[in-house]
Amino acid sequence: MTDEIDLSRLPPPEPYDEARDKAQRKRLMDVWREPPGWKIISAVNNSYIGKWYLLTSFAFFTFAGILALMIRMQLAVPGNDLFSQQLYNQLFTLHGTAMMFLFAVPIFEAVAIIILPEILGARDLPFPRLSAFGFWCFIIGGIFVCGSIFFGVAPDGGWFMYTPLSSDPAYSGLGTDIWLLGLSFIEVSSIAAAVELIVGVLKSRPPGMRLNLMPLYCWYVLVVAGMILFAFPPLIAGDLLLEMERAFGWAFFDPDRGGDPLLWQHLFWIFGHPEVYIIFLPSIALIATMLPTFAGRPMVGHSWIVLSAVGVAFLSFGLWVHHMFTTGLPEISLSFFSAASEAVAVPTGIQIFCFIATMLVSRVRPSVPMLFAGGALAIFVFGGLTGVMVALVPFDWQAHDSYFIVAHLHYTLIGGMLFPLFAGIHYWYPFVTQKALNARAGKWSFWLMFGGFNVAFLPMHWTGIMGMPRRVWTYDLSDGWALLNMVSTIGAFVFAAGFAVLALNVLWPRGKAPLVKRNLWNAGTMEWAAEVPDKPWGVRSIPYIHTRYPLWEQEGLVDQIDRGEWFLPDAEEGKRELIVTDILDARPLFVQRVGGPSFLTLGAAFCLGASFILATFHLWTITLIFGAGFVGFTLWWLWTGTSLIPEKPEKYAGRGLTLPTYAQGNRSPGWWAVFITMTGDMTAFMGLVFSYFFYWTALPDFLPSAEHLPSFAWLLVGLALLIGAWGMTVGARETLGRGQRGLSMALLIGALPVGALGIGAWGWSAYAKGLDPTAQSFDAMVWMLILWPALHLLLNWVMSLYVAARIKFGHCTPEYRADLMNLALYSHFLALTVITIFALLALFPLLMGVGS
Amino acid sequence: MRHGSDEQPRHFTPPGDAPRVIDQGSVWILVAAPSIWAAHFLLSYWVAAIWCAKAGPMASLVEPRWIIVALGLISAALIAWLGVIAVRRYGGVFVIFEEITESSERGRDRFVGHVALLLCVLSVVAIGFTVIPGLVFATC
Repeated sequence: MTDEIDLSRLPPPEPYDEARDKAQRKRLMDVWREPPGWKIISAVNNSYIGKWYLLTSFAFFTFAGILALMIRMQLAVPGNDLFSQQLYNQLFTLHGTAMMFLFAVPIFEAVAIIILPEILGARDLPFPRLSAFGFWCFIIGGIFVCGSIFFGVAPDGGWFMYTPLSSDPAYSGLGTDIWLLGLSFIEVSSIAAAVELIVGVLKSRPPGMRLNLMPLYCWYVLVVAGMILFAFPPLIAGDLLLEMERAFGWAFFDPDRGGDPLLWQHLFWIFGHPEVYIIFLPSIALIATMLPTFAGRPMVGHSWIVLSAVGVAFLSFGLWVHHMFTTGLPEISLSFFSAASEAVAVPTGIQIFCFIATMLVSRVRPSVPMLFAGGALAIFVFGGLTGVMVALVPFDWQAHDSYFIVAHLHYTLIGGMLFPLFAGIHYWYPFVTQKALNARAGKWSFWLMFGGFNVAFLPMHWTGIMGMPRRVWTYDLSDGWALLNMVSTIGAFVFAAGFAVLALNVLWPRGKAPLVKRNLWNAGTMEWAAEVPDKPWGVRSIPYIHTRYPLWEQEGLVDQIDRGEWFLPDAEEGKRELIVTDILDARPLFVQRVGGPSFLTLGAAFCLGASFILATFHLWTITLIFGAGFVGFTLWWLWTGTSLIPEKPEKYAGRGLTLPTYAQGNRSPGWWAVFITMTGDMTAFMGLVFSYFFYWTALPDFLPSAEHLPSFAWLLVGLALLIGAWGMTVGARETLGRGQRGLSMALLIGALPVGALGIGAWGWSAYAKGLDPTAQSFDAMVWMLILWPALHLLLNWVMSLYVAARIKFGHCTPEYRADLMNLALYSHFLALTVITIFALLALFPLLMGVGS
Repeated sequence: MRHGSDEQPRHFTPPGDAPRVIDQGSVWILVAAPSIWAAHFLLSYWVAAIWCAKAGPMASLVEPRWIIVALGLISAALIAWLGVIAVRRYGGVFVIFEEITESSERGRDRFVGHVALLLCVLSVVAIGFTVIPGLVFATC
């Protein structure tokens, strides 16, 4: 088919030489060693960032868990007034918010950052500094959101922050702004992690690991990161609309001004339901990874699990309205979502059956991780079945917003996410620390949590059916819920005790304890090839993989890796290096150099965090100053750390393989990162497009008469100019490729005023017709659709000037022009956005017969 | 996906082709069938939402029934066509105990074809789920 290098017929390794081995190890150590002392905070290595990410997520989990215990204390007895109603509202809102946004999603990223590179036999992920940036954004945003409760201003509108309660500042105070801005900030870090993980799975696999040999964990990571890319942006779009209404009075959700509060519910749940699966799939992936180890055989139905992961990823986007069954939508619409909610049980069930089949055909070794995995399946199946019940519209009408729902969602999330995660903690703890956990404490924590959980949440099915609404502050003795609530409270505290045992077990100092033996569980996946004690470089040499379970099926692999017989066994140039491979067959493409420790990412995260936090308080001047600081730090980081021209065009990677040291276009991870980020950006834009059509469907007189439409002629002029600016950017890419550096720079800089005039013409088209975003939803929507490309254009300008400067100073040349290619890719997406907006603002009204 | 200007700096040829994403041996076939499900789902939702919004809450659903049936049949036919490609071009097979672990381009193709085939089946089933309410409901 293709003239690929046959990796199975590589020349034999050079004979082992101890002196060479020592010298190589020393050089690798020098390159990958982390900064000493307090400077460790500038580390970017995945093993550090991952560990910090994990501990931080668990800190937020503990915090949110304490809030849950406070909720249970308040509900323990009828007529209780232990906490005020205001505080209680903050408790349950922050509990849900922190569990979802600060624990469940980030923990997926944390675990993936720790184990994914190792499972892939890679030294690190392709963008280590981006991981570090994401982590610092996460911790800053998380502390800001959680800290608000100590000042009595925590968000109190429920974790899904429904409008119009949240859109009217008179009803909801500062808390809602904290929620909106804090979470938007954290979503940015989630999307950064998603980009990192997708590129990691697609481009950083070890040579030879074809798609059919890729471990299940990687499939799940790929699928889930893809889901984040399509699920989170609509919420960012929703956050933007809601914050514009709160801060500047734009009319999006106010029915008096042509808005519709239901729009928020749509945008929230288009995010919110896939999010449940974004939480569930990575945890079930942990079970799929550890189960073969304890069964001692490959997973039964490997491909069926891939099918179910991909299938669930898609179907989960067709479920969002099942959170809105009681909002009065047409019954036929509800039934579509009910049908999809039933259908999603099919692929979900398939993976559970694959697990059971694997256990049936083998003798499973008993162990603490398997104990947690078994408990997880039991709880999750129970929660899944109540899920099928509430997917039925008539039943949901009875159970909606009652404690039955509270019970259902905790069964699915704790069974589907928390218990598998705890199993994973017990399984990978020796991998991370090289020390063993106390198995007796592990069993204690399992039984306490398993028992406590069921005692706490099983009764809630009854309290719910008996009519207890969720989020209720207190109840009367005559309601008849008192006994069951007391039982729930006791169960919650037993559960908390179990978690305390687990936390103690994990955090117990084990300085003097003996190291575990290598590949403790006798697993088949690559992460267990790591040396004991651990080395910062991840893998001594990057092996050729041609099986699904390399440690079982490739004899002598670990010794070969240790002796440095495979690729990149050395770091002669003193640079951190990875091998980038192709998507389908993992053929080596080039050697990528990645950044080492840096304070720039920290500075960028700090400034971005500060500007989001200050925006909450509407301190616009300092917000802008910190925003500029963020841009400055980011440019500095990019200038000194990305697309560097290598000292030599190619290098010897070992075993007769010579690889380029630079790549551009769709060979380079950077290009893919831009492509993936912009796909997410387009999804957010689609959220706005959805909003436009939602108004048009829901409101009969959404489109105004012809004299109130933005002027067609000016829209057309603007479109022509904006497309012209795009053409100039593409032209710059072509001319630089032909060696015309001056012309290329001129085109890049010339595109700035052209684009400015274009967006100016659009602004004028709306301004001249007197469109007022605070008056009508249509006007607000038009201005939003102009503001959106304007913000993107601003970013485009910064990037164009940056690339022009790179050309000027010789960092971007006709031969090495990755920067300009990435910019051109960005501008393709911008052009697509602009054309879509023109269709919405100019053509659609015409089509509907209201235009002139 | 490939642009003329995406070529590597001259002077050396890296091993193998550039990543082939759309032509034969593409992975897009994996997401094609569920994407058809998604398109069908959204279309059904939009048709129903607009019909019910513009024709009133108690509007009859008997007349647009043929739209629902036609949408379902067209989608199912498209997926069947994808399934044929998965079998013929990729060598996809329908087996329960899958062991396609051969380390070759053909092995990878057969794996992708096999998973694509499974996804075709799942997508048709899910489309069936969406069509049923359209046949049962008489009014919005």
